[in-house]
Amino acid sequence: MTLEELKAQVDQGQSLMIDIRLGKAFTEAHIQGALSAPFSQRGWGRAVAGWLKREAPGQAVVLFGDNAVLVNSAKGALEAEGISVAGTWDAGLGPWMAAGWPLVRVENITADALKASLSEWTVLDVREPYELRSGMIPGAKAIPMGELTARVNELDPSKRYAVVCASGSRSQSVAAWLAEQGYQVANLVGGMSLWIGAGHPVERA
Amino acid sequence: MIWQPIQDAELGCLSYIVGDPTTGEAIVVDPLGAVGAETYILAAQDLGVNLVKVIETHVHADHASSARTLSQLLGVPHALSHRAPASFAFEPLTDGDEWQMGQVHIRVWETPGHTPDSISILVADVRRSREPWLVLTGDSLFVGDVGRPDLADPNPEAIHEASVNQYHSVRRLMSLPDFTEVWPAHYGSSPCGGLFMDKKPNSTIGFERRFNPFVNMEDVETFVTQQQRLLKPPPAEAAELRRKNLGL
Repeated sequence: MTLEELKAQVDQGQSLMIDIRLGKAFTEAHIQGALSAPFSQRGWGRAVAGWLKREAPGQAVVLFGDNAVLVNSAKGALEAEGISVAGTWDAGLGPWMAAGWPLVRVENITADALKASLSEWTVLDVREPYELRSGMIPGAKAIPMGELTARVNELDPSKRYAVVCASGSRSQSVAAWLAEQGYQVANLVGGMSLWIGAGHPVERA
Repeated sequence: MIWQPIQDAELGCLSYIVGDPTTGEAIVVDPLGAVGAETYILAAQDLGVNLVKVIETHVHADHASSARTLSQLLGVPHALSHRAPASFAFEPLTDGDEWQMGQVHIRVWETPGHTPDSISILVADVRRSREPWLVLTGDSLFVGDVGRPDLADPNPEAIHEASVNQYHSVRRLMSLPDFTEVWPAHYGSSPCGGLFMDKKPNSTIGFERRFNPFVNMEDVETFVTQQQRLLKPPPAEAAELRRKNLGL
């Protein structure tokens, strides 16, 4: 599809956009409203098709990616499960950004950069309680990932949140979701693994 | 560290995806034409990594490479030894070049012999140790054997010089600690090695130090003589394959 067709799909909001890029790329920047489902050769088609049939039956589907090989494989995988794909985009975010259109963004912050600017951030630790025994970043607020949708009103929209987990994987999903809700967020790359690995301070309960 | 060998058993060729889980970056080493560029793109996505560079340990003379196609499909650099006589633009690698992807540290050694443009790639996972965990030896050191000296230039003087270089490159690789894993570009009956090449794809520096006959030849003349005595017939179309892989 052309850039104009992509924009029209987004503006009309009639089709469901599935972003097949890896979670890290999605978290860094994606088009508002897109769903993240990183393509994989193992089971992706069945899982996504099952979800679509259950949650969005009959809705038109647009696939968004940055590589033709992956987008074509994803299209084939959905079609094999009986889902028709209304349009595909394989040129990534470059043309969209060049046009100056808005994106949902999350800054990826390194352990060293977070340490240097810690006073500017509220650290949000989304690990499970048992994981916190290995230590937390001083002053961090702990809300396990699974409780966040229920407790999101504990967050202050005027603050900047650095989201942290063990390795940077869960925090990536949480940060993307919080950004969709309008919060200012960054994701700590490598999570506590790289924070502790870099020798930065932790406090233990 | 993310570590995925991808092989072509028929030709006895090995290629590798080496990546870092924290940054989601990875390199591809020696991608194979027989496997196809698309397979590497799909494999990297399954592993959850972005391919940021395509590296070849040398310009191959026994099989078609998919490195150029892959680097074009991904829009990432294609890196080769600065000594590779390729016709296309590439990122030149020089002895001692090093860089880091998150926890994974990469260092380049020039190990000429099999071809003048042969390199080895030392890989460390700094979360475990600053010392290399493994070395991708290309065709410089095989399991039980070493790379043949006659494929880049078949004239007798060039073969002799290549064999002398191979002797010194092997000795340099043997300066690594015994525990360093050895992952070459070939195994089995690949025509790039000699009669002793093992069907097992990997080994360690320590095991090769002890049991590889070419490592145990103490003087260079014995090495050169033995290497030429034990040559297999060259692979069919070797010159043509290397010419194509050079983009000529």
